[in-house]
Amino acid sequence: MCLQRLLILSVLSLGACLRSGAVASENIDAFATYLAPLFEAHCTKCHGENGKVKGKVDLLSLKSVSDISADPELIRDLIDAIDFQDMPPEDEPPLSEVDRTRAVSALETLLHQSLAKADAAPVTPIRRMNRFQYHNAVKDLFGLKVEVFSLPERMCREYDDYFQPATGKMPDRVKVGSRPLGKSQLIEKRLGGVAAFPQDLRAEHGFDTQADHLTLSPLLMESFLRLGKSIVESHDFNPANCKEWDTYFSEPKAGEPIEPIIRDRLRRLLILAFRRPVEDEVLDRYSAYVISLTREQGMSVSDAMKEGAAAVLASPRFLYLYDRGKDQDEAANRNHDFELASRLSFFLWGSLPDQRLLNLAEKHQLGDPEILAAEVDRLLRDDRLKNFCDSFPSQWMQLDRIVTSVPDPDQFPEFYYAKYRTSMDMMLEPLLLFETLLIENHSVIELIDSDFSYRSTRLRTWYGEKVDKKPDGPVTLQFERVPLKERRQGGIITTAAVMTMTSGPKRTHPITRGAWIASTIFNDPPEPPPADVPPLEESTKGVPENLTLRERFALHRENASCAGCHEKIDPLGFALEQYGPAGKWREVYENGRPVDASGELFRRHSFKNVVGFKDAILEEKKRFVRGFAAHLLSFALGRPMTASDSPALDRIVEQAAADDYRFHSLIHALVASEPFRQNASGGKALAAH
Amino acid sequence: MNPFSRRTFLRGAGGAMLSLPGFESLATFAGAAGASKPAQRLAIFYVPIGVVRKAFFPGEADAAIPKFTSDQKEIPTKASYAPGIHPLEFTPTLEPLKPIQNEVTFITGMDRTYQNGTDVHAQCGSCFLSSAAPNTITTSAYPLDRTFDHIVADQIGGATPFRTLEISCNSHKDNLESIYFDNISWYGTGHVAPSIRDPRKLYRRLFGTTEIQSYRNITDLVLEDARSLKRELGRSDQEKFGEYFDSIRTIEQQMDKLEGMKDELSKAKIAEPPEALLPRGEYIRLMCDLMVAALQTGLTRVSTLMVGPERWNTPFTYEGLFDKPRSHHQMSHNQDKFIDDLIQLDRFHMEQFVYLVQKMAAVKEADGSSLLDNTILTYGSGLGDGATHQYSDLPIIVAGRGGGTIAPGGRRLHRPEGDPLANLWLTQARALGIKTERFADSTGEISALLT
Repeated sequence: MCLQRLLILSVLSLGACLRSGAVASENIDAFATYLAPLFEAHCTKCHGENGKVKGKVDLLSLKSVSDISADPELIRDLIDAIDFQDMPPEDEPPLSEVDRTRAVSALETLLHQSLAKADAAPVTPIRRMNRFQYHNAVKDLFGLKVEVFSLPERMCREYDDYFQPATGKMPDRVKVGSRPLGKSQLIEKRLGGVAAFPQDLRAEHGFDTQADHLTLSPLLMESFLRLGKSIVESHDFNPANCKEWDTYFSEPKAGEPIEPIIRDRLRRLLILAFRRPVEDEVLDRYSAYVISLTREQGMSVSDAMKEGAAAVLASPRFLYLYDRGKDQDEAANRNHDFELASRLSFFLWGSLPDQRLLNLAEKHQLGDPEILAAEVDRLLRDDRLKNFCDSFPSQWMQLDRIVTSVPDPDQFPEFYYAKYRTSMDMMLEPLLLFETLLIENHSVIELIDSDFSYRSTRLRTWYGEKVDKKPDGPVTLQFERVPLKERRQGGIITTAAVMTMTSGPKRTHPITRGAWIASTIFNDPPEPPPADVPPLEESTKGVPENLTLRERFALHRENASCAGCHEKIDPLGFALEQYGPAGKWREVYENGRPVDASGELFRRHSFKNVVGFKDAILEEKKRFVRGFAAHLLSFALGRPMTASDSPALDRIVEQAAADDYRFHSLIHALVASEPFRQNASGGKALAAH
Repeated sequence: MNPFSRRTFLRGAGGAMLSLPGFESLATFAGAAGASKPAQRLAIFYVPIGVVRKAFFPGEADAAIPKFTSDQKEIPTKASYAPGIHPLEFTPTLEPLKPIQNEVTFITGMDRTYQNGTDVHAQCGSCFLSSAAPNTITTSAYPLDRTFDHIVADQIGGATPFRTLEISCNSHKDNLESIYFDNISWYGTGHVAPSIRDPRKLYRRLFGTTEIQSYRNITDLVLEDARSLKRELGRSDQEKFGEYFDSIRTIEQQMDKLEGMKDELSKAKIAEPPEALLPRGEYIRLMCDLMVAALQTGLTRVSTLMVGPERWNTPFTYEGLFDKPRSHHQMSHNQDKFIDDLIQLDRFHMEQFVYLVQKMAAVKEADGSSLLDNTILTYGSGLGDGATHQYSDLPIIVAGRGGGTIAPGGRRLHRPEGDPLANLWLTQARALGIKTERFADSTGEISALLT
């Protein structure tokens, strides 16, 4: 741990100690001498005494200031109820104006202190599913064998079932396609007549799961209403394409009473879709609707159930991911188990929990560390893990940037073929490496330095290999596992994809590359540049033509007032200068001057070239793994990491280190961590025993 | 048509007369606020897979038959025209325009820029109306952003129940192609405004009441879910969750608006289209009828219609043209063999366009002008030729007077070399009251098109 962080942490905990001490001394009086007697006189008759807890508010259970401070939500409710004169109710003696004012003011002080004292562990706000999750959830809910709609954000299209995590092995040859750039790759078996809502873009330095990005508008809600209906009304939504057809949509046999059948089917559908136990009142409502369609409109059970399913898909209980906020009662543990089930499945499958996860939650077993770990193993070996591989790695590496990279056609004519681009091949290489490391449970350190990669014929030629084979595409591409002899290759950083997407069309952009390394590899994104920086060309006007890029930057830095930041990022980018703007190796610049890739990492590890640079990163591998774990946790929880997550991240890294940073160990440590287990009400899933 | 008649006639499928009263209340609704001047409308008639140039463009009859190629190079011709106004010549494919020649302006010489990295057919259709200049969109391989029709609807579509109406005459049941081949209308990058392909669905959306009722049932159900869910949330989540209630409320208001009109519309005796698969001509004309009805009654002011999808090799039945179902796209790749058939097909599509123009001309509005007088209707294709796949020298015809903003027709406007298609959309946008300097890669308006 670096000194700076140690300092921050100790200051933080010192502050917390001081503050909690202050709360205790100041407020024992206010609560014990004033609020508690007031509650007893005016409130506890309905809120605590003789088992009466109206509105689930139990004021009798508050024995001390620490009890009430532990629940800022409750304090807020009390303030509202008293301040707006909702309580005491009309038929009870009112509070005097003096008491009311005094109570509100005392509670406000308490609330303030309670929030300050609270561990400040941020919770993920309620958020709607993103497009990717919605697609997978619908597909899993009905057991669809076809896509609901095509998703270009799932970059790597799989052919011939190469992705089989249960085998623990990636095949040596895989057939793939690039959905965003390949020819006809968005054409796949899918539900006709169904059109998706717009893609949810990743947050800056974040993911498309981030809660503050996932909002709802009337236009989008209209899309959801139409989308749900168009899914069930599609002519491809039929018994042949839907594995769960008989569970929900088949016609009952003649003479069977249809109402209990409809109710049973809806119960199952609602539990799976809402990922929670379903209250009778909700089931009654949906049943009444579907039954009325058969009775009053003469619909068949099949059609009426489809209408019911369309409504389920528009319900906020399906569309929104959320934790219950106020559980302090019996049901709390049970709900936390269900919330944990959803968190786990949306993390690793990008989709709904399956029946098994829900059953474990129902039995209060999911919170048991051993059972939870076994479930993580099960999820990691399930084919649905592809959803994780289709969402996390491309966003983590910001691979969407390669989609619009256009190297200069004069300088790189071979980049373009048959109206397509070599970036189609490039983007798949780091993704296949990531999938392999995960499926085969390698160390995540190999993301920096691997001795193999997956490459198409075109890519091998691109990297300078003599290959005696005709390149394939633009429809499907054959990728082969190739051993790498030179360490300047291997890992994701030096792939043609990353090198090309962090360059301009004509020249490399060392600052862009440096910023990418800082964000992706070390999870420490630089501040955006100030608006008034003159571009490189302008600031070096009149400078001799024969300078190298590095010399020009040095001049630029002298001009600009932002040397501080650039001293941090520039060396990271210059370390990669031996890779040109389209990812090809080079020793000299066009003007004949040699490329200088030497530098220092974190002012500690000096290096001469890109191999030395990789060694320097390996020296700092804890920092990389910690950053990587924070990326994963942020993706899973839908929120940026904060200072309060620090201790948990440190523990995750320690645990993963014990198993040589293997991918599965890292994910196990992450799922077991406090932030992952904690829910919105601050509670955590616990085993029943 | 008798100007005193309060009835307008729609000839629907199977020859049945569909009658639609010319609603006074709706005509006012469709008109500009408080004035009797009818509202301006916008319509697009998109023809896929280009045309056979030899039979379409004047002076190209003697050019060589193009081979199938995707290099997008034009076939050289002897004809050379100066930019400016030329007489309207009735080449074989344009001949059906004769009866309406004074209503149309033929525009030649307009180009789009192909952006490398996607299929030529997918891009020529999906980006035909795009507001994005080439290489400006960083989140997609397509230069695709909110399309022209939606930008216009932002200006003139707000008061109507349907801001826009997207129609596609694609009756294929297979999903052979991606959405980029079958949609010219987009809310924004990657956000398709899905088109309605089924005449019955279109009819029910416009005139039916059961669809609204079924949405109402759903909103009732989910609102109950939302109320109970809200009680389970923490305070700040409750606040954020307000967006759900707001969204549903807005949708319900839209439905109220539509339902308010439904009472009027239900008086219209428009027969529900049959479920049977119709031959191409009847199908396209039926979709045109429904589009005219929607524009006429003020259900919408902006509508796009694709006469067929791009590429898509599945054959269609073209009645009266071929004895067997044919694939437009497959024929387009072999002009040597199919050139005569293709010319017939281009002419067939032109006849449907003429039908639509005449239909609009026959609809009288409250002030005695015709629907066509108040509409800007554009015929166009994203390819200059189906064999060369060129994005240059696109076939474009503009009909209607746009409420007096568009100059009379009967001419051909030839544009200077490299004139971007975006200039046409810029010109139309200005005619429809949108104050803008630029549209996509536009360089300036086509002033000869304006009055």
